[in-house]
Amino acid sequence: MEPIKTLQSPHSRRRFLAGAGALGAVGAATMLTGCNDSSSSPAPTPTPTPTPTPTPAPAITDNDILNFALNLEYLEAEFYLRAATGNGLPASLVPTGSGSVTGGVKVAGGSTEFQGYLNAIAQDELNHVAAIQATIAGNSGTPVPRPNIDFTNAFNALAMLATIGPSFDPFSSSQAFLVGAFVFEDVGVTAYNGAAPAISNNAILDAAAGIAAIEAYHAATIRTIIAGQALATKDSTYLNYANLIVALRSKVGAGMETMLSLNSIVAADSTNAIGFARTTSEVLSIVYGGGTKSGAFFPNGLNGNITTVS
Amino acid sequence: MANAETIQLDSIISSRRAMLAVGGAALAGLAFAPKAQAATINDNDILNFALNLEYLEAQFYSLAVNGVTIDLGPQKIPTAPNAGTLGAAGMITYKSPFAAVPFADAAIKAYAAETATEEGKHVLYLQKALGSLAVSMPAINLVDSFNTLANAATIGPAFDPFASDANFLIGAYIFEDTGVSAYHGAAPLISDKKNILPSAIGIHAVEAYHAGLVRFSINRLDIANGTSPTLIGYTQKISNLRYTVANPSGAPYSTTDDIGIMNTMVALNGTSATYNATTFADAPTGMTRTTAKPGYSIAAGRTTTQILAIVTAGGTPNGSGVTTGGFFPNGLNGTIK
Repeated sequence: MEPIKTLQSPHSRRRFLAGAGALGAVGAATMLTGCNDSSSSPAPTPTPTPTPTPTPAPAITDNDILNFALNLEYLEAEFYLRAATGNGLPASLVPTGSGSVTGGVKVAGGSTEFQGYLNAIAQDELNHVAAIQATIAGNSGTPVPRPNIDFTNAFNALAMLATIGPSFDPFSSSQAFLVGAFVFEDVGVTAYNGAAPAISNNAILDAAAGIAAIEAYHAATIRTIIAGQALATKDSTYLNYANLIVALRSKVGAGMETMLSLNSIVAADSTNAIGFARTTSEVLSIVYGGGTKSGAFFPNGLNGNITTVS
Repeated sequence: MANAETIQLDSIISSRRAMLAVGGAALAGLAFAPKAQAATINDNDILNFALNLEYLEAQFYSLAVNGVTIDLGPQKIPTAPNAGTLGAAGMITYKSPFAAVPFADAAIKAYAAETATEEGKHVLYLQKALGSLAVSMPAINLVDSFNTLANAATIGPAFDPFASDANFLIGAYIFEDTGVSAYHGAAPLISDKKNILPSAIGIHAVEAYHAGLVRFSINRLDIANGTSPTLIGYTQKISNLRYTVANPSGAPYSTTDDIGIMNTMVALNGTSATYNATTFADAPTGMTRTTAKPGYSIAAGRTTTQILAIVTAGGTPNGSGVTTGGFFPNGLNGTIK
């Protein structure tokens, strides 16, 4: 058979780690060090100290990856729950020390079907917060508290960057909300795809794959509704917004995008129909609106050990 | 509690490995499979298992959209890339005379065309990745299989997925969630996490996009046609059937691992208020997760044995250890069958 290299996709564990700040070392043990560049610089620092032992970079653990995902699930859960009900996560899922959430109100005027989809996704994302918190706790870890989240300024800033306009309120109508949801869902899929191969515990990988699937179900639904509404209403305003988001995510998130149209619902590599995977750095760049340590949805950055764009 | 869950999941995964290792004859008794033989299944076996399923999906969509099989369609996909060493392609059975689905809905037609192309690319990708080890297409039956499944699901005595937009979507529904759970179940079994797992995870995502697309489209069409809940009722029947054949005697999932499209009530924010929700993702939303039962809105992965049971419409291993029936009247090609 052909060398197994033919299966090498650009979305490998190595890429996941490298993009998150790999230190350039070789070997399985050091591969695990790559994702955390928040506490030590990858640049070798010449120093006259006689100590020959370099400071080892902290290893990235499964719990670090889970906590990275938990930050994103907090974001999604707050977004959908506020849109569906007007209220965010229940107190039982908000650990002590959590930050505040700015913006997010119940979306009015949607159809019964819209409300049904919205409620279903809100329930799923709420469940994902609970699932990841439980998985971390079950893996002898501590779930990070919810970081500060800002919807109001983030969507305005993204609208500017994407040239949608000077401001954008995804909670103002069902159509606008779908565009807001569009911002998150494909990113969630690429984040899980990128993280999964770096997970060492197969039981956790199994759970991550199951969550990734749900994010892709959501993403497909959002994409299908947006493209379908453009056809049904003969008005492509919101479809165009979505594609401006595609362009922005592509710019700050290393490509990994597929333009949305009725003929192109799935976001995947056009050469082999394999879904995209992003490094943690690429995901952070998107949710930080192009920032490196914080910005957009996370004005004070994420919580945990994976917080900085390398 | 969660720790116990993790341990349970570990044991499930290790039992999957053991189950895979000993081949078809021992699959029914997976709990007793000796773990010592775990080396006999490798990543290429898993990829070939996936290739069989992709042949099936690609043929279904190619016929639906192009009216011809994949070798004759625009992508000209070989069905026996290693005929000299691994045998000729099996026969594919479909109704005669055959015509592509007479799509009336532009969005559904577009979906079908996109999916046909993408499933074709999956076949080509896996064939290339496996190279000289890529198996030929096994015999595929797209007539008796659907009739058997429709009968078993109590949808009706016969079912033609190529007859209309609605029927096509129901046919697609059978495949897509199954594909998602197949790649999901296989992911933890893949030993090469650097080169092979990322691709498998990426294909898994695309199958889930397809599944979400088809589930949304079924609900939309049902409402638009004024037939709701007829079509979504079919999805529940199919999901029930998939669960039943994949979990004989209720194991490993003691409650359903497969849910159809339905309108249900959820209690958001943990209050007493309930909200109408449409379940367009294939995952139970229940908050209680015990042992192997899926929950937490986490899609269920399936073992290869479970997938074989679904695609063979409840088939069990024959005297040669090959599971046959349904879409694969002679079983799959490769090691896992």
